[in-house]
Amino acid sequence: MNSSQTPSRPPLRSVLLRSRKHTILGFDPQKLIKYFFGSNASVAIIVLVLIMVFLMREGVDFLPTYQRELQTYRRAGLEFCDIIDQPLQRNQALSSSLRQALSASLETLSKTARDRRDAAFQLKRQVEDKTARPRESLTQALEKTPPPAPDQIEVLRRELKEAATSAAKSLEYPDLFTAAEREQLQREFAALTPESTDMPPLLQALVAEFSAKDREARTKFAALVTAQEEFEEATEPLQEVLDELKAKALETKEKAVEFEALETNRLRLLEAAAKETDAEEKASLTKEAEASVAEPVNMEERTKEITERTAELREQVEKYAGVVEKAAAELPQEAGTEAARRLINEVRADIPAHAREMRAAAARLDGWRWDKPVSIFSVIGAFFFGTQWITNSSWQDFFGFVPLLTGSLVIAAIAIVIATPVSVVAAIYTNQFASDREKEIIKPIIEFIQAIPSVVLGFIGISLVGNLIKDVSEWSWLQWVPGFPIQERLNMFNAGCLLAFMAVPTMFSLSEDALNNVPRAYIDASDALGATKLQTVFRVIVPAGISGILSAILLGLGRVVGETMVVLLVAGNRIAIPDFSAGPGVIFHPAHTLTGIIAQELGEVSRGSSHWQALFMVGIVLFAISLLVNWCARAVARRFEPHKA
Amino acid sequence: MTPSPSNDNPFAGDNSGIQKRETAARWALRVGSYIVVLITLAIMLHIFTKGAPVAFQSKWPFVNTKFLTELPATLHVIEDQQGNHIETDVNGADAIKKQLGDNFRAEKTISYSGGGILGPIIGTALLVIVSVGVALFLGVACAIYLSEYAKHGKFLEMVRLAILNLAGVPSVVFGLFGLGAFVLTAPKFVSVVAERSVLAIPLGFTTLSFEGWDTCVLSGGFTLAFVILPVIITASEQCLQAVPQGFRETSMALGATRWQTIRYSVLPFATPGILTSSILGIARAAGETAPIMFTAALAFKDKLPWQKDMPPLPVDASIFAHWEQSVSRFLGIFTESVQALPYHIYTLAAKIPQNEYAERAQYGSVFVFLVLVASLAASSVMLRKRLRAKYRW
Repeated sequence: MNSSQTPSRPPLRSVLLRSRKHTILGFDPQKLIKYFFGSNASVAIIVLVLIMVFLMREGVDFLPTYQRELQTYRRAGLEFCDIIDQPLQRNQALSSSLRQALSASLETLSKTARDRRDAAFQLKRQVEDKTARPRESLTQALEKTPPPAPDQIEVLRRELKEAATSAAKSLEYPDLFTAAEREQLQREFAALTPESTDMPPLLQALVAEFSAKDREARTKFAALVTAQEEFEEATEPLQEVLDELKAKALETKEKAVEFEALETNRLRLLEAAAKETDAEEKASLTKEAEASVAEPVNMEERTKEITERTAELREQVEKYAGVVEKAAAELPQEAGTEAARRLINEVRADIPAHAREMRAAAARLDGWRWDKPVSIFSVIGAFFFGTQWITNSSWQDFFGFVPLLTGSLVIAAIAIVIATPVSVVAAIYTNQFASDREKEIIKPIIEFIQAIPSVVLGFIGISLVGNLIKDVSEWSWLQWVPGFPIQERLNMFNAGCLLAFMAVPTMFSLSEDALNNVPRAYIDASDALGATKLQTVFRVIVPAGISGILSAILLGLGRVVGETMVVLLVAGNRIAIPDFSAGPGVIFHPAHTLTGIIAQELGEVSRGSSHWQALFMVGIVLFAISLLVNWCARAVARRFEPHKA
Repeated sequence: MTPSPSNDNPFAGDNSGIQKRETAARWALRVGSYIVVLITLAIMLHIFTKGAPVAFQSKWPFVNTKFLTELPATLHVIEDQQGNHIETDVNGADAIKKQLGDNFRAEKTISYSGGGILGPIIGTALLVIVSVGVALFLGVACAIYLSEYAKHGKFLEMVRLAILNLAGVPSVVFGLFGLGAFVLTAPKFVSVVAERSVLAIPLGFTTLSFEGWDTCVLSGGFTLAFVILPVIITASEQCLQAVPQGFRETSMALGATRWQTIRYSVLPFATPGILTSSILGIARAAGETAPIMFTAALAFKDKLPWQKDMPPLPVDASIFAHWEQSVSRFLGIFTESVQALPYHIYTLAAKIPQNEYAERAQYGSVFVFLVLVASLAASSVMLRKRLRAKYRW
């Protein structure tokens, strides 16, 4: 400010207050800078809104689309068939129980014979595997035209013989065989040649032994055998009628879908023609539109053909129920084993309910109307409370949300139950008891877990944890654990363990912060009252920090529910509501999850289809869940805030 | 009360029971915390013992260069009559079969398990560069506002709430968002407007059409940027807050404007910290799979992003034509979909049948991936420690 050079010195006040700012387009640059940063700050808000907008844009059409699909499902008569077909599915479960009971009973007599036969065949296969190469060479040599010199074949034969002898020797023979039998098996295996098509004599004897035992067992449990057969065959006449109706309904549905596709195409062409200015183009478009005219399907007539047979169907259902009940009455009280007897009793108890259900379904057939409209509320209900998620089905796609939600929730619960004690204990220990050196080991390592990518943990679940859990579940002294031995390597428990591991760092750090924030005065007061360290920790510090710990658990829950790759790789991906009748052992069943289904299926569906929209709906629900969990965590943190000392 | 030696406190009660309980509880807590540590170490050890033999070798140069410098390929395993297994690729298979002649017995092909993992590494690097670039720009600006400009009020509260919530959004939802926003809707200059375009603004020489970028590095990078944005904002704000208030007051007292204060007396001291913490963001971006599944990643690609077929230029092409082609080749890197390491691991783990050859590729990729991510995370921690020691106000 060269105020001294100006001829007349301006008053000091105006110099001080003179604006030295230049402006850009009439704006103060300082303000502009501030607005620039402010607008960047609002990016977080904008992104949240955009996420909502884009999820909505792709997903919001789901309800009307699904409504249309369900409407077709009803009008074409598929729903009519499902009234009977759904309860009939129960038959399969029941007859599989019976089959299990039967085979368990038969095994009481024939198990040894069967095991001996199977073991012998397995040993034979092992020998064949081990001698595969010389055998192949020999076979090739034998098939060659002209045949090679006999001495050459002899060499190959000798090679095979040697290989077979050594292979037969190196086998581990189970205790099922006596020493003499072992020797005989060894001899027979060593003598195996490609030409011999007959089974070696001992194997034949073993097969005969088994079939004799099996016959004996079947005569002993003849009542069970016939009951099981009757039960299984009972569906056949009913199924026949039903299959006819189903084929008819499906044909109607396909025609309706085709008509709809042609119709939309026609309308689009007409619209394009209306917009088109070029006369020639317009004519060709209109012509094309006219060509795509399709015959509308007379749903009413076609469904009438189905409903006409209601009486026949009911008659069959009645017959079926009668046969089934008769089979239930014929089921013997006794079975080979305790487990089998329990299974039979369960089936006997279930059959009346099943028969009742079938009759009730038959009674409902009359009330069914093909033209009853599908209300939007029932569509919402079908999505949020539907128990089936079936896609790419030749019959009908269902988008029911419950199986996915239960899978997600059970896995999250397992993870939280495991992770909470571990991380809270670790937080308490590091915060209150650990020496500085211990802290320097524990904290970075636990925080390092956060840096492990989730796909790596998922891979660990497949390659390491799955086998580990399976092996452990086969230990004999752990058989009291429900669900052991487990069937599937990839299951909800496995996924839960890995997610717990992932959630530990979040929960650990936040809990530790919460403990750190407990006012010093609380601890001093407790010490002054003569409390021991343990008393101070558990009666003063932990209760004071409980709000932080709870919100840490909630945030961990949010992380667990939203995790994708681990559940996609490890949870087993079976889309069904886990079978809670198995008790606590249900955690060892496979399941599918909200996040996993998106990751797995979105890549394979075409844009705008109902499946695509359904997946975006799932995304909307996930987004809502994450917001809810966050809100709860904040609310908890506020609610239990300790009074600041 | 048992008689105690005279030098003890005569008023003290018998504490031995309490002390025992105290020690027991302490040990229980200690065991609980070390379980987590041990599990972590066990997992690391498992990956190391299985993966290191793939990535390293006992001969010079000790690193398995083939694994690190080749693209993934289908592995062909040829067995001869003697039971030897020969591993080769598509091109080698026929030659070896011819050479073996009658000796040939069987051939197995294992997808994705041959060659190396250069493609995925490059792809991940590109994604990280784009995402960290975008996230640093937005995140640091946001942090500057929060730390230097914002006053308590509705807006500030909303921003903080939004950041918190953004941090909690599941990564697969970010994937859906990226698919809807960047792959299908983002604006793009085109000459012919696609049918799916939401809005097309003619600009004379070209058209700005909201038709999306397709699956490519840009879409994936932007999606990842929003995934790591909360991390970057929080870390940067902490670094800005750590600069003592006195620096700002001094600067303001000397008559500097707010921007000058930020530019000359806050940012220089906060930048090292911001950059260090953003390394954590890099590690996170490199590790995410779900957001790039639908926006950028491919299961298989036999070319690097810049190996694109271009029409050969005429011999007498001007320097300008060459220049133009190089530029379009460079830009093409970002508009191609790529392989990425996490997605490659997912493919290897879930999409192909498991056997020894697939297992080798799996553990090798996991090992390399983990080493990259872990070294990033570790370097961030170490640098932060150093910085703390250096700037102590």
